[in-house]
Amino acid sequence: MTDYISRFTPAGNLFIPRMFQGFPEIKEALISDKIQAGFVVAPLAIALRSQGVPIRIVYLGHRYGSAVVVRNDSAITDFAQLKGKIIAIPSRFSDERLILNRVIKKFKLDVNDFKMVEMAPPDVAGALAARAIDAFSMGEPFPSQAEMGGFGRVLFHAREHWPDYMSCVLIVRDDIIEKRPDAVQALVDGIARSGLWLDDGRPNREHAADFVGRFYYNQDPRLLTWALTNPLNRVTYTPLSPYKPDFDLVRDLMIETKLLDSTIEFHEYVDTQFAEKTDGLSPWRYVPGSSRAE
Amino acid sequence: MSDIKRLVLILFGWTSLVTALHLGLNVDWSVVLNDRMPEDKRKLYVAYIPVT
Repeated sequence: MTDYISRFTPAGNLFIPRMFQGFPEIKEALISDKIQAGFVVAPLAIALRSQGVPIRIVYLGHRYGSAVVVRNDSAITDFAQLKGKIIAIPSRFSDERLILNRVIKKFKLDVNDFKMVEMAPPDVAGALAARAIDAFSMGEPFPSQAEMGGFGRVLFHAREHWPDYMSCVLIVRDDIIEKRPDAVQALVDGIARSGLWLDDGRPNREHAADFVGRFYYNQDPRLLTWALTNPLNRVTYTPLSPYKPDFDLVRDLMIETKLLDSTIEFHEYVDTQFAEKTDGLSPWRYVPGSSRAE
Repeated sequence: MSDIKRLVLILFGWTSLVTALHLGLNVDWSVVLNDRMPEDKRKLYVAYIPVT
């Protein structure tokens, strides 16, 4: 989003987006300095930092946009009915796993009754259709893909059990924060302005679905249109500043589920200096044109 | 033109064509050029996966 729109700004694009198919590959690329920043799920970012990887969370990618999906023809209408079933998650270190733990706890169920398997996000819809799994907990557009394909049904959206839910966060290597704070600020500002632009109404979202689907995700734009507009608040892009209570909750759930063996404080893994400067920014002045972007 | 000369020319042409296609289709020139910039002028590589 930010990359596409900033191409039309006088400053031009300031970074090169690189698509990966899974979070482990992003982690390795960050450690080896092949990439300097990236979007990963929040628990993975916290775990990386606690393991000594020199990165910090500087901003969020979005809020909400994750759902638990079951097969359309299954009789499952209640979370407890997933006992004994196979549920795919993107990573042990993901909010999509933590939301399951949260709901399991809420319904006073036993986590050992659920079989969670890690699966690359692009594979889950196919696995559900092929009956290799019974459900998945994943970010958009994969719940939308299952719904559009007619073989999946949303059991619940993350927002129903986790107010202010967040999933992907922007992490940046420490050396870049130290040596090139202006570049990091430009990136964060661009994401903030993209978020404001996206939350400015349906035409912007439809236009974004078109160019992101074709030029970045290599997905059918109709799929992203579904994910971004059905309903409009299915995924939200404001506010994206990292708030301590949100991260304390994630960290505590990580300790509870043994993803972390010791506590780590907010200021140790989040750098708020860039987010603090986004107050007062305005949406990109980019007018959505025809349904097909150039 | 001898057969040997003709064969060498064909091989040279074929190799040049495949090399040119490879450089055009498989090499990300934005990355190559960016990596040659001074460190403080380089664009940042930002990773994402095709999820919201």
